[in-house]
Amino acid sequence: MTTQTTTLAPVAVRANERLMAAALATFLGLGLIFMAGFSPAIALHNAAHDFRHAQNFPCH
Amino acid sequence: MILRLLSAALAAGFLAAVVATGLELALTSPLIVEAERYETPAPGHAAQALPIVLAHSGHDHAAPDAAPEWQPAPGFQRMAFTGLATLVGGVGWALILGAVLLACGREPTLQTGLAFALAGFASVALAPALGLPPELPGQEAAPLLARQAWWVMTAAATGMGLYLIGVRRSFIAILGGLVLIVAPHVVGAPPPPSGSSELPAALAAQFAARSLAIGVVFWAMIGLGFGWAWQNFGSAGRRHA
Repeated sequence: MTTQTTTLAPVAVRANERLMAAALATFLGLGLIFMAGFSPAIALHNAAHDFRHAQNFPCH
Repeated sequence: MILRLLSAALAAGFLAAVVATGLELALTSPLIVEAERYETPAPGHAAQALPIVLAHSGHDHAAPDAAPEWQPAPGFQRMAFTGLATLVGGVGWALILGAVLLACGREPTLQTGLAFALAGFASVALAPALGLPPELPGQEAAPLLARQAWWVMTAAATGMGLYLIGVRRSFIAILGGLVLIVAPHVVGAPPPPSGSSELPAALAAQFAARSLAIGVVFWAMIGLGFGWAWQNFGSAGRRHA
Protein backbone atom coordinates (compact mmCIF):
# COMPACT_ATOMS: atom_id res chain seq x y z
CA MET A 1 0.00 0.00 0.00
CA THR A 2 2.79 2.36 0.95
CA THR A 3 4.74 1.50 -2.17
CA GLN A 4 1.64 2.12 -4.29
CA THR A 5 1.18 5.64 -2.99
CA THR A 6 4.85 6.52 -3.32
CA THR A 7 5.00 5.30 -6.91
CA LEU A 8 1.64 6.66 -8.06
CA ALA A 9 1.72 10.08 -6.46
CA PRO A 10 4.71 11.51 -8.38
CA VAL A 11 3.25 10.34 -11.68
CA ALA A 12 -0.09 11.99 -10.89
CA VAL A 13 1.67 15.16 -9.75
CA ARG A 14 3.81 15.21 -12.88
CA ALA A 15 0.81 14.79 -15.17
CA ASN A 16 -1.06 17.45 -13.25
CA GLU A 17 1.90 19.83 -13.37
CA ARG A 18 2.29 19.18 -17.09
CA LEU A 19 -1.32 20.08 -17.78
CA MET A 20 -1.16 23.15 -15.53
CA ALA A 21 1.94 24.36 -17.39
CA ALA A 22 0.27 23.69 -20.74
CA ALA A 23 -2.88 25.56 -19.71
CA LEU A 24 -0.92 28.57 -18.45
CA ALA A 25 1.26 28.67 -21.58
CA THR A 26 -1.81 28.44 -23.83
CA PHE A 27 -3.45 31.31 -21.99
CA LEU A 28 -0.33 33.51 -22.17
CA GLY A 29 0.36 32.53 -25.77
CA LEU A 30 -3.14 33.30 -26.98
CA GLY A 31 -2.94 36.65 -25.17
CA LEU A 32 0.29 37.55 -26.95
CA ILE A 33 -1.04 36.40 -30.33
CA PHE A 34 -4.21 38.42 -29.83
CA MET A 35 -2.12 41.49 -28.99
CA ALA A 36 0.23 41.11 -31.96
CA GLY A 37 -2.22 39.81 -34.54
CA PHE A 38 -5.81 40.70 -33.71
CA SER A 39 -6.11 43.55 -31.23
CA PRO A 40 -8.34 46.25 -32.71
CA ALA A 41 -6.66 49.00 -30.64
CA ILE A 42 -5.41 51.40 -33.29
CA ALA A 43 -2.01 51.98 -31.71
CA LEU A 44 -1.38 48.22 -31.47
CA HIS A 45 -2.60 47.74 -35.03
CA ASN A 46 -0.31 50.42 -36.37
CA ALA A 47 2.68 49.18 -34.38
CA ALA A 48 2.24 45.59 -35.53
CA HIS A 49 1.03 46.53 -39.02
CA ASP A 50 3.88 45.13 -41.12
CA PHE A 51 4.10 41.98 -38.98
CA ARG A 52 0.38 41.36 -39.40
CA HIS A 53 0.60 41.66 -43.17
CA ALA A 54 3.77 39.57 -43.39
CA GLN A 55 2.33 36.78 -41.22
CA ASN A 56 -1.05 36.84 -42.95
CA PHE A 57 -3.20 38.00 -40.07
CA PRO A 58 -6.31 39.71 -41.46
CA CYS A 59 -5.46 43.40 -41.30
CA HIS A 60 -7.69 46.39 -42.09
CA MET B 1 7.97 22.54 -15.47
CA ILE B 2 6.20 25.88 -15.84
CA LEU B 3 9.46 27.85 -15.61
CA ARG B 4 11.16 25.53 -18.08
CA LEU B 5 8.26 25.93 -20.51
CA LEU B 6 8.17 29.73 -20.19
CA SER B 7 11.92 30.15 -20.56
CA ALA B 8 12.14 27.76 -23.52
CA ALA B 9 9.30 29.64 -25.21
CA LEU B 10 11.02 32.98 -24.60
CA ALA B 11 14.27 31.68 -26.08
CA ALA B 12 12.55 30.06 -29.08
CA GLY B 13 10.42 33.13 -29.74
CA PHE B 14 13.46 35.37 -29.58
CA LEU B 15 15.53 33.21 -31.95
CA ALA B 16 12.67 32.93 -34.42
CA ALA B 17 11.91 36.64 -34.21
CA VAL B 18 15.51 37.61 -34.97
CA VAL B 19 15.49 35.53 -38.15
CA ALA B 20 11.92 36.39 -39.18
CA THR B 21 12.36 40.12 -38.55
CA GLY B 22 15.38 40.16 -40.83
CA LEU B 23 13.41 38.36 -43.53
CA GLU B 24 10.37 40.63 -43.08
CA LEU B 25 12.43 43.80 -43.32
CA ALA B 26 14.28 42.49 -46.37
CA LEU B 27 11.41 40.82 -48.24
CA THR B 28 7.92 41.95 -47.20
CA SER B 29 8.21 45.42 -45.63
CA PRO B 30 9.49 47.03 -48.87
CA LEU B 31 6.49 45.56 -50.75
CA ILE B 32 4.08 46.85 -48.04
CA VAL B 33 5.55 50.36 -48.29
CA GLU B 34 5.28 50.22 -52.08
CA ALA B 35 1.68 48.97 -51.89
CA GLU B 36 0.70 51.80 -49.56
CA ARG B 37 1.18 54.20 -52.47
CA TYR B 38 -1.83 52.55 -54.11
CA GLU B 39 -3.93 52.62 -50.96
CA THR B 40 -6.99 54.81 -51.43
CA PRO B 41 -7.97 56.57 -48.22
CA ALA B 42 -11.51 55.73 -47.15
CA PRO B 43 -13.83 58.73 -47.41
CA GLY B 44 -14.24 60.72 -44.23
CA HIS B 45 -10.90 60.39 -42.55
CA ALA B 46 -7.43 61.76 -42.83
CA ALA B 47 -5.44 60.71 -45.85
CA GLN B 48 -2.32 59.70 -43.95
CA ALA B 49 -4.18 57.41 -41.55
CA LEU B 50 -4.49 53.70 -42.20
CA PRO B 51 -8.08 52.79 -43.11
CA ILE B 52 -8.63 50.93 -39.87
CA VAL B 53 -10.92 53.45 -38.23
CA LEU B 54 -14.08 52.67 -40.12
CA ALA B 55 -13.67 48.92 -39.73
CA HIS B 56 -13.44 49.26 -35.98
CA SER B 57 -15.52 52.33 -35.24
CA GLY B 58 -18.16 50.32 -33.42
CA HIS B 59 -15.68 48.50 -31.22
CA ASP B 60 -15.35 49.32 -27.55
CA HIS B 61 -11.55 49.05 -27.52
CA ALA B 62 -11.06 51.84 -29.98
CA ALA B 63 -13.21 54.88 -29.54
CA PRO B 64 -12.48 56.67 -32.81
CA ASP B 65 -12.36 60.15 -31.33
CA ALA B 66 -10.51 59.22 -28.14
CA ALA B 67 -6.94 59.84 -29.21
CA PRO B 68 -5.00 60.78 -32.32
CA GLU B 69 -4.03 57.71 -34.28
CA TRP B 70 -0.54 56.94 -33.18
CA GLN B 71 1.62 55.22 -35.71
CA PRO B 72 5.34 54.52 -35.78
CA ALA B 73 7.42 57.01 -37.72
CA PRO B 74 8.63 55.76 -41.09
CA GLY B 75 12.06 54.22 -41.18
CA PHE B 76 13.80 52.95 -38.08
CA GLN B 77 10.86 53.28 -35.70
CA ARG B 78 8.54 51.37 -37.99
CA MET B 79 11.18 48.66 -38.46
CA ALA B 80 11.70 48.45 -34.69
CA PHE B 81 7.99 47.99 -34.06
CA THR B 82 7.81 45.33 -36.77
CA GLY B 83 10.60 43.54 -34.92
CA LEU B 84 8.84 43.95 -31.58
CA ALA B 85 5.56 42.62 -32.96
CA THR B 86 7.42 39.67 -34.47
CA LEU B 87 8.99 38.99 -31.06
CA VAL B 88 5.61 39.11 -29.31
CA GLY B 89 4.10 36.86 -31.96
CA GLY B 90 7.05 34.46 -31.89
CA VAL B 91 6.94 34.06 -28.11
CA GLY B 92 3.16 33.66 -28.29
CA TRP B 93 3.34 30.87 -30.87
CA ALA B 94 6.24 29.24 -29.00
CA LEU B 95 4.15 29.16 -25.80
CA ILE B 96 1.28 27.53 -27.64
CA LEU B 97 3.64 25.08 -29.37
CA GLY B 98 5.13 24.10 -26.01
CA ALA B 99 1.69 23.71 -24.48
CA VAL B 100 0.56 21.44 -27.31
CA LEU B 101 3.72 19.31 -27.07
CA LEU B 102 3.23 18.86 -23.32
CA ALA B 103 -0.50 18.26 -23.57
CA CYS B 104 0.16 15.58 -26.20
CA GLY B 105 2.70 13.99 -23.87
CA ARG B 106 5.64 14.53 -26.23
CA GLU B 107 9.12 15.32 -24.95
CA PRO B 108 10.16 18.54 -26.74
CA THR B 109 13.27 17.82 -28.85
CA LEU B 110 14.57 19.23 -32.12
CA GLN B 111 12.56 16.57 -33.99
CA THR B 112 9.24 16.84 -32.15
CA GLY B 113 9.58 20.63 -31.99
CA LEU B 114 10.09 20.86 -35.75
CA ALA B 115 7.29 18.39 -36.53
CA PHE B 116 4.73 20.17 -34.35
CA ALA B 117 5.92 23.57 -35.58
CA LEU B 118 5.33 22.55 -39.21
CA ALA B 119 1.82 21.49 -38.18
CA GLY B 120 1.49 24.92 -36.58
CA PHE B 121 2.58 26.56 -39.82
CA ALA B 122 0.03 24.49 -41.74
CA SER B 123 -2.69 25.47 -39.25
CA VAL B 124 -2.17 29.19 -38.81
CA ALA B 125 -0.41 30.22 -42.02
CA LEU B 126 -0.97 27.79 -44.88
CA ALA B 127 -4.61 26.79 -44.30
CA PRO B 128 -5.91 30.35 -43.72
CA ALA B 129 -3.88 31.52 -46.74
CA LEU B 130 -5.80 29.11 -49.00
CA GLY B 131 -8.94 31.16 -48.42
CA LEU B 132 -7.46 34.52 -47.49
CA PRO B 133 -4.18 34.91 -49.39
CA PRO B 134 -1.59 37.11 -47.66
CA GLU B 135 -2.72 40.54 -48.56
CA LEU B 136 -1.10 43.91 -49.13
CA PRO B 137 -2.50 47.25 -47.99
CA GLY B 138 -4.83 48.60 -50.63
CA GLN B 139 -6.20 45.24 -51.75
CA GLU B 140 -9.95 44.78 -51.82
CA ALA B 141 -11.08 42.53 -48.97
CA ALA B 142 -14.16 41.41 -47.08
CA PRO B 143 -15.02 43.08 -43.72
CA LEU B 144 -12.25 42.60 -41.15
CA LEU B 145 -14.32 40.82 -38.50
CA ALA B 146 -15.62 38.25 -40.97
CA ARG B 147 -12.08 37.53 -42.16
CA GLN B 148 -10.75 37.28 -38.61
CA ALA B 149 -13.56 34.90 -37.66
CA TRP B 150 -12.89 32.67 -40.68
CA TRP B 151 -9.14 32.80 -39.99
CA VAL B 152 -9.57 31.70 -36.36
CA MET B 153 -12.05 28.99 -37.29
CA THR B 154 -9.80 27.64 -40.05
CA ALA B 155 -6.68 27.69 -37.87
CA ALA B 156 -8.48 25.91 -35.01
CA ALA B 157 -10.11 23.31 -37.28
CA THR B 158 -6.86 22.58 -39.13
CA GLY B 159 -4.89 22.30 -35.89
CA MET B 160 -7.47 19.96 -34.39
CA GLY B 161 -7.61 17.96 -37.63
CA LEU B 162 -3.82 17.54 -37.74
CA TYR B 163 -3.89 16.48 -34.07
CA LEU B 164 -6.52 13.82 -34.81
CA ILE B 165 -4.56 12.55 -37.83
CA GLY B 166 -1.04 12.80 -36.43
CA VAL B 167 -1.49 11.99 -32.74
CA ARG B 168 -4.72 10.00 -32.40
CA ARG B 169 -4.27 7.99 -35.62
CA SER B 170 -7.33 5.74 -35.37
CA PHE B 171 -9.47 5.32 -38.47
CA ILE B 172 -12.32 7.40 -37.09
CA ALA B 173 -9.90 10.09 -35.88
CA ILE B 174 -8.22 10.34 -39.29
CA LEU B 175 -11.60 10.58 -40.99
CA GLY B 176 -12.75 13.27 -38.55
CA GLY B 177 -9.45 15.09 -38.96
CA LEU B 178 -9.80 15.20 -42.73
CA VAL B 179 -13.35 16.52 -42.40
CA LEU B 180 -12.16 19.23 -39.99
CA ILE B 181 -9.33 20.30 -42.32
CA VAL B 182 -11.54 20.44 -45.40
CA ALA B 183 -14.68 21.94 -43.81
CA PRO B 184 -13.55 25.60 -43.58
CA HIS B 185 -12.70 25.58 -47.29
CA VAL B 186 -16.06 24.04 -48.17
CA VAL B 187 -17.76 26.79 -46.15
CA GLY B 188 -15.45 29.22 -47.92
CA ALA B 189 -13.65 32.36 -46.85
CA PRO B 190 -15.54 35.66 -46.91
CA PRO B 191 -15.22 36.79 -50.54
CA PRO B 192 -13.69 40.16 -51.37
CA PRO B 193 -16.10 42.77 -52.71
CA SER B 194 -16.11 43.00 -56.48
CA GLY B 195 -14.12 45.97 -57.50
CA SER B 196 -10.76 46.70 -58.97
CA SER B 197 -7.64 47.76 -57.18
CA GLU B 198 -4.83 49.84 -58.57
CA LEU B 199 -2.37 47.47 -56.98
CA PRO B 200 -0.23 45.58 -59.55
CA ALA B 201 -1.03 41.85 -59.46
CA ALA B 202 2.67 40.95 -59.68
CA LEU B 203 3.33 42.85 -56.44
CA ALA B 204 0.50 41.02 -54.65
CA ALA B 205 1.63 37.61 -55.95
CA GLN B 206 5.22 38.20 -54.92
CA PHE B 207 4.06 39.32 -51.48
CA ALA B 208 1.90 36.23 -50.96
CA ALA B 209 4.76 33.88 -51.85
CA ARG B 210 7.28 35.74 -49.69
CA SER B 211 4.85 35.86 -46.75
CA LEU B 212 4.38 32.08 -46.76
CA ALA B 213 8.11 31.49 -47.19
CA ILE B 214 8.84 33.67 -44.16
CA GLY B 215 6.08 31.86 -42.28
CA VAL B 216 7.65 28.45 -42.78
CA VAL B 217 11.08 29.71 -41.67
CA PHE B 218 9.52 31.50 -38.67
CA TRP B 219 7.74 28.33 -37.55
CA ALA B 220 10.70 26.06 -38.18
CA MET B 221 12.85 28.32 -36.03
CA ILE B 222 10.21 28.36 -33.29
CA GLY B 223 10.05 24.55 -33.28
CA LEU B 224 13.81 23.94 -33.45
CA GLY B 225 14.45 26.72 -30.93
CA PHE B 226 11.89 25.35 -28.51
CA GLY B 227 13.21 21.78 -28.72
CA TRP B 228 16.78 22.99 -28.30
CA ALA B 229 15.97 25.33 -25.40
CA TRP B 230 13.82 22.75 -23.61
CA GLN B 231 16.64 20.18 -23.73
CA ASN B 232 19.26 22.73 -22.75
CA PHE B 233 17.37 24.32 -19.87
CA GLY B 234 16.40 20.86 -18.63
CA SER B 235 19.95 19.53 -18.46
CA ALA B 236 21.12 22.74 -16.78
CA GLY B 237 18.33 22.27 -14.22
CA ARG B 238 19.37 18.69 -13.55
CA ARG B 239 23.02 19.67 -13.05
CA HIS B 240 22.07 22.24 -10.44
CA ALA B 241 19.68 19.89 -8.69
